[in-house]
Amino acid sequence: MSSAELTPPEAARWAARAGLSLPDDRHSVVAATASHIHSVVAVLRELDFGDTPPAGAFRAEQEKRDAAV
Amino acid sequence: MQPYELSLAAAAQEIRERRLSPVELVDSVLNRIEQVEPHVAAYVAVSADQARRTAREAEREAAQGSYRGPLHGIPVGLKDVIDVGGVSTTASSRTRAGHRAASDSAVAANLRAAGAILIGKTHTHEFAYGLTTPQTNNAWNRGRVAGGSSGGSAVAVASGAATFALGTDTGGSIRVPATLNGVVGLKPTYGLVPRHGVTSLSWSLDHVGPITRTVDDTALVLAAIAGHDPRDPASVAVPGVDYRPRPDPDLTGVRVGVPRNYYFEHVDAEVAAAVRRAIAQLEALGARLIEIDIPMTRYIQATQWGLMVPEATAYHERTLRTVPELYQADVRILLEAGELMGAGDYLRAQRARTLMRDEWARLLAEVDVIAAPAVPMAAVPSGQETVTWPDGTVESVSDAYVRLSSPANITGVPALSVPVGQDAAGMPIGMQLLGRPFAERTLLLVGHAYERTQSARSLAPLT
Repeated sequence: MSSAELTPPEAARWAARAGLSLPDDRHSVVAATASHIHSVVAVLRELDFGDTPPAGAFRAEQEKRDAAV
Repeated sequence: MQPYELSLAAAAQEIRERRLSPVELVDSVLNRIEQVEPHVAAYVAVSADQARRTAREAEREAAQGSYRGPLHGIPVGLKDVIDVGGVSTTASSRTRAGHRAASDSAVAANLRAAGAILIGKTHTHEFAYGLTTPQTNNAWNRGRVAGGSSGGSAVAVASGAATFALGTDTGGSIRVPATLNGVVGLKPTYGLVPRHGVTSLSWSLDHVGPITRTVDDTALVLAAIAGHDPRDPASVAVPGVDYRPRPDPDLTGVRVGVPRNYYFEHVDAEVAAAVRRAIAQLEALGARLIEIDIPMTRYIQATQWGLMVPEATAYHERTLRTVPELYQADVRILLEAGELMGAGDYLRAQRARTLMRDEWARLLAEVDVIAAPAVPMAAVPSGQETVTWPDGTVESVSDAYVRLSSPANITGVPALSVPVGQDAAGMPIGMQLLGRPFAERTLLLVGHAYERTQSARSLAPLT
């Protein structure tokens, strides 16, 4: 198990902190699934975002950044 | 030919010229539903009486010379995450028992105003969170997956149980089932079609769009459902456009990008061959093929998951705490695990999306459309969970079906899937056309031009 993988008790504790009380029989499967999701999204840490803003309220069409105003 | 077999455009012409009444068309489609539903289970609910009443009104209007347009009297199936006033939106979930939509969604209201007749609500993978729609069977082979999450809509259109349908697409949920059932699916540009009244899976990735039997039909539906609606915060005001492609299949001057990477990797050989044949057909029609490199491919799945997983969990926060046992197992586990994702991961995904959108804008300045496979493999047997590629890589079926779709969800660019043949087992194969934001017209032009070179598609051979 890599250090990034959650143990079942950790998964239960993290879920509880998020306000979700997991039944005992859910701890292992949630830990495994959360670890898998983590392994997928963790590659984004490789990116140097610089000043890039999040696209929280984004438009599919790129803004015309050099447009005269 | 029976009325249920007609394309939307053909049915509209028959109704316009008073050779076919909406009542005849609706009756024909309802009879077809009775015939095929025991085999495919595309519908959650069929509103036969209401549809017949509305058809009679549509017939009266037509008799008085009042014609609302090409959707007048045309039967439509709506994916059951789309609200229709007074009707339950089940999202194919037990958690929605007793639900009743207070009013029409924006798209349902638009379709109603355009004269379309709601014939029923179609099955979705529960809350649109999955790629197979296990309740529903593929229209071409009931032992194969329908695809999802808009599986019911695609199967209904493919089997003649709806003249057209609407679906939603968060990671391929229109294009995947459309492709797997041999029909046309459009994920419009993010913001073009309003989502008010549509159950969300992931706000920043969700799109509503048409599933039809021809590209021409897609253009007719898009014109009716596109438009600004301030109740959807992502909705964009763009000028009204005639989306209908010209009949002349000339693509002279159109630059078609053919990906060197990503879209043809880990793709079934028969799928790749069929799509390359279709691309050669575009070249024969005058298009110029340009090899392109898809940017940031290493980060596509991470960005898709980083956005979708926490947004979906947020939407279901309340019911996950009160009635978790009512969710299907595959959906419940994703919602639960999503509780453990931190804000840092979500923000990185949002920032990666900004980078990816900018890279795609640069790419789409060099070509007018990108042509690629819609999904890596045709419909797999129901119950199959993984696919093994020739290099030994094992991939989950869901991951494979999302893989070629999600770039358009992340960047918001429009993407059209068009049938381009069948594999040796007789299962449909699709090509995906991607374009610049709000350049649906170009996609429809190219898709239609291709379609005109092929013999007319028949309904799925299901009795």
